[in-house]
Amino acid sequence: MATETKRQGRAQRGTRRKPTVLIAGNPNVGKSMLFHKLTGRYVTVSNYPGTTVEVLRGQMRWRGQEFEVIDAPGMYSLIPITEEERVARRILLHDKPDLVLHVIDAKNLARMLPLTAQLIEMGIPVVVVLNMMDELERAGLSIQVEALQQQLGVPVVPTVCLTGQGINNLKELIYERLAANPDLSARD
Amino acid sequence: MSDLPPTLTYPPAIEHAIAQISQLLRGDYPLSYRTLALLLLQDDPEIWEEVQAQESPATLAQIRALKEQLEREGGMPLGWQIEQERQRWSQQIAAQVTQITSPPRPHTVAEWVGWLCMNPWTGFPILALVLYFGLYQFVGVFGAGTVVELIEEGLFGAYINPFVERLVRATVPWQPIQELLVGEYGVWTLGVTYAVALILPIVTFFFLVFAILEDTGYLPRLAMLVDRAFKGLGLNGRAVIPIVLGFGCDTMATVVTRVLETRRERIIATLLLTLTIPCSAQLGVVLALLASYPLGLAIWAGILVVVFLLAGWLAAQILPGRAMPFYMEIPPMRLPSLSNVLLKTVARLQWYFLEVLPLFLIASVLIWIGQLTGLFELALRVLQPLVQVLGLPAETGVAFLFGFFRRDYGAAGLYDLHKRGLLSGNDLLITAVILTLFVPCVAQFLVTIKERGWRTALGMFVIAMSVAFGVGFVLSRALTVLGVHIG
Repeated sequence: MATETKRQGRAQRGTRRKPTVLIAGNPNVGKSMLFHKLTGRYVTVSNYPGTTVEVLRGQMRWRGQEFEVIDAPGMYSLIPITEEERVARRILLHDKPDLVLHVIDAKNLARMLPLTAQLIEMGIPVVVVLNMMDELERAGLSIQVEALQQQLGVPVVPTVCLTGQGINNLKELIYERLAANPDLSARD
Repeated sequence: MSDLPPTLTYPPAIEHAIAQISQLLRGDYPLSYRTLALLLLQDDPEIWEEVQAQESPATLAQIRALKEQLEREGGMPLGWQIEQERQRWSQQIAAQVTQITSPPRPHTVAEWVGWLCMNPWTGFPILALVLYFGLYQFVGVFGAGTVVELIEEGLFGAYINPFVERLVRATVPWQPIQELLVGEYGVWTLGVTYAVALILPIVTFFFLVFAILEDTGYLPRLAMLVDRAFKGLGLNGRAVIPIVLGFGCDTMATVVTRVLETRRERIIATLLLTLTIPCSAQLGVVLALLASYPLGLAIWAGILVVVFLLAGWLAAQILPGRAMPFYMEIPPMRLPSLSNVLLKTVARLQWYFLEVLPLFLIASVLIWIGQLTGLFELALRVLQPLVQVLGLPAETGVAFLFGFFRRDYGAAGLYDLHKRGLLSGNDLLITAVILTLFVPCVAQFLVTIKERGWRTALGMFVIAMSVAFGVGFVLSRALTVLGVHIG
């Protein structure tokens, strides 16, 4: 079973591969909520080969272009401790996403950034999704998105996944990054 | 894959190693050489495997040498150094881009309550209230008092046990076997009756309170509240769960020390459970005994707190290592759901019964053997000088001996002695202190052996014995010298 899934994956990739977007981040930062906001109805759930960890895959459509979106299991660091983290890293390394969305909890910026640094270090294009902006505001805080973007050197999109705020900006950014540029082999 | 200019620079020595490793690598990998080098330095087994498949043995040896050299120079593990740098970098950026627009204020009532529970000024008074109402009034007075009286004296004492006893004496011809089953310390009269009529109701009430605290989100907040204090004991906030559980059943709590991360923390927590935390059954009996001596109760509680802090602090000084950092997701405060609470309580009771009941039965059999062979008499004689030094009546030796089999049973034995007028208030206080600090019950001792190993368990046994009688001795002398009479 496991090998068959893999072969299918390879075959698909060999033909015309859809741009792939991976959603990564700590547990409980709104990754799954973002996944559903991006993909809508067409979702498949499967176990990652050889594990009991579930991985969600879905399609996102924006301006007539289709994207594959993968919801990676929660991870705290690139060094895996749990089975979930091991799977998340394997997807990062071997599924070759064209873009990684690092979803972070805006209230806990300092705790989230170590993983951002690790993702950027990997050399994959990263977009930081600054989620839970509403809770940040309620905590009496604000983040200067522009300054954060400059410090990190990658795009930062503020969102409230619960209400859908900022999701269209994010879709637009994904489109610009991946589809507006016909050369998708940025990573290969 | 081209490497972008780094976002985050590590200390020069690490950067140097990254550069050198990147130069050495030749293979084709799905990640940047920079990340690859960092993961190798952090000793990631999966990545090492991948690199071993692609690089020459000479390269691998060179990388290993680089890593070992760095480790020798830096003192701390490389993974820790790298992580430290990432934290520093993250905190710096977060501080630069975050602004405080208004003082943080909780918005809903639930958030308010949650915040009050964690704030030290309000949190400790709330903890005192939770302990008083949840533990003392509900578990102690109602559960261990009212309900146990109904079940133990009413149901078992008046109806079930006389019937079983008559049945056994009528059907089993041999007297020692009769004793084994329904004698004073028989499998039925001691083992089953204690487990079902005394411990079960108390533990049920305790687990109920515990599940409610768990379900409301109070426990994680308590963990945050005491985290700093626990750090001084070589533990962290996570240890709240086994320690609080210990007030229900130390045996179960000893098993639950598995949630702690390091062996060091597990040993310290087990020691504190063995030494200082009275289980609900014991607590119930001690509270009943000292209820008429408020001063005695205060001294007893004060001594336990001091021993708890001192033992933890000392253990933290002696055992190598240091307190682990503690992160915990704080769930929102909410009203507990009844089905959840009941489900958890039932699950724990089920565990309790399967794990602990057999140990009760074993204890009864051991007592029976002890009596039959005269080993008991011998042990009592050994205890005699100890009891005399403490200035206590000789009969208390029996209470200590049985206290090993059931902590609460030892205390219950005292209750008898007190009623017979053999113990003064001071004697009662000294004995209660010794019994609480005293060695764990058989069940807890067996579980400690299982979890921590023979040597550690024996060590704890010896420590608990020495501390219990040492403190008892000091207390006895102090009361005499100061001329204190608690009642």
